[in-house]
Amino acid sequence: MVEPKIFCVTGGKGGTGKTLVAVNLAIMFKNRGYKVLLIDGDVENPNTFLLLNAKLKNKTEVLYFLPKIIEEKCTKCGLCAENCETHALLYIKDSYPIPISTVCSGCKLCYKICPTDAIEPDLKVIGWTYTASAFNIDLFLGELKPAEARSAVIVNKLMENLENIIKTEPEKYDIVILDTAPGAHCDVEELINSADFVVPVTEPTRFGKVDLLRIIELIDLLKRKYKAIVNRSSLLGYKEKFLKELEEKDIEILGDIPLDEEIVSSYCQGIPLMEESSKFDRDGAGYKSFEKIFENLIKWGGFSK
Amino acid sequence: MVIIGIPTFGNLGLKEVMNNRFGRCASFTFVTIENNEIVEVKSVANDAAGAMGGAGIQAAQIIGNNGATEVIVGNLGPNASNSLNAVNIKIYQSQGGSLTVKELIDLRLSGKLQVLTASNVGAHAGMGGGRGGGMGGGRGMGGGGQGRQF
Repeated sequence: MVEPKIFCVTGGKGGTGKTLVAVNLAIMFKNRGYKVLLIDGDVENPNTFLLLNAKLKNKTEVLYFLPKIIEEKCTKCGLCAENCETHALLYIKDSYPIPISTVCSGCKLCYKICPTDAIEPDLKVIGWTYTASAFNIDLFLGELKPAEARSAVIVNKLMENLENIIKTEPEKYDIVILDTAPGAHCDVEELINSADFVVPVTEPTRFGKVDLLRIIELIDLLKRKYKAIVNRSSLLGYKEKFLKELEEKDIEILGDIPLDEEIVSSYCQGIPLMEESSKFDRDGAGYKSFEKIFENLIKWGGFSK
Repeated sequence: MVIIGIPTFGNLGLKEVMNNRFGRCASFTFVTIENNEIVEVKSVANDAAGAMGGAGIQAAQIIGNNGATEVIVGNLGPNASNSLNAVNIKIYQSQGGSLTVKELIDLRLSGKLQVLTASNVGAHAGMGGGRGGGMGGGRGMGGGGQGRQF
């Protein structure tokens, strides 16, 4: 029994090309005959399905705890409201506390400490999960309901679904690719922590560098292996200087991706650049760069195929 | 008898100028009215002024716990308006300009203030900034959310 290898594509800065890389790595593994699952962990802006031109299916609600006050049992003591970290219980003396659902973090403290058991768990919808398939790749995708705060809960749900598959059908997938949100917050952390290999994607700007260093700090804290990718490497002629700076900081890279109109064109068409059935130029600068990145990745991951 | 709560800056009573921020105002001035006459004025500090989140809810609690059944406000965020509505506190919209508590009470008693039924600025619009208190809309950070939990 062999469990799938998990790659996490992240990067700190927004718009560096995480989704572009995640989708094309998935496609390149698929081209070589691997069974691939792609998980879009950017639940605030899920859009891998656009790059794959995929139709979302199996919309499933993600539910979360919300307190429900049982008035017959409530003594109006106010203990729940007093201890609510997010002030999600409105309590005015001599009246029943009122839950304010938009600020409730779902921590259940009120439910646990109520001296008369007057709080019961109620559930609210905080988002949805979906599945999709395109180009022989399966996709899991999560969506946080606008104005809800707990994106990590949706990410947890996606990873729970993955764990269930690994438990029941361990050989269903050979490769799992996780595409994270920008930033270095809790949902990004969870995905990095689940991965065997981490691929931060950056760009040769000061923003790219600062955010890359931050995400590497997180990857190091989680003790994960990583190699970076420099996207838009031909931008403004900073490539050599940027690569040298990474080298000085002992940051290894899988390769770099130059600016390439075919990449933009693949975005617009919803056909991944590296898809074997596509009509993109096999000698194009973008195409070649992805091939090189993939070869380095295969070597790094110790894949035989 | 009716008690009206007004967000303010300090404890000068009827001379206080209304603070356009509700959840994050420095103090509330409570004015008790009997037979169209002002019979009592008191100031209460707003402990929620510096809260990370939920200031509007805590401020509504202060209003309710001081027995007020009406408020007069400048800007009002969604949590504050939901909270005030949940405990049946009537919300009046100030007419703008730097009006004092006394002027606002007079406007209220002569029936010149409009009732507000929902929030008029986004979440966290009153965050940051200092006393200033100038008029004009909130900065509209709508949907700013409640601060992610780590």
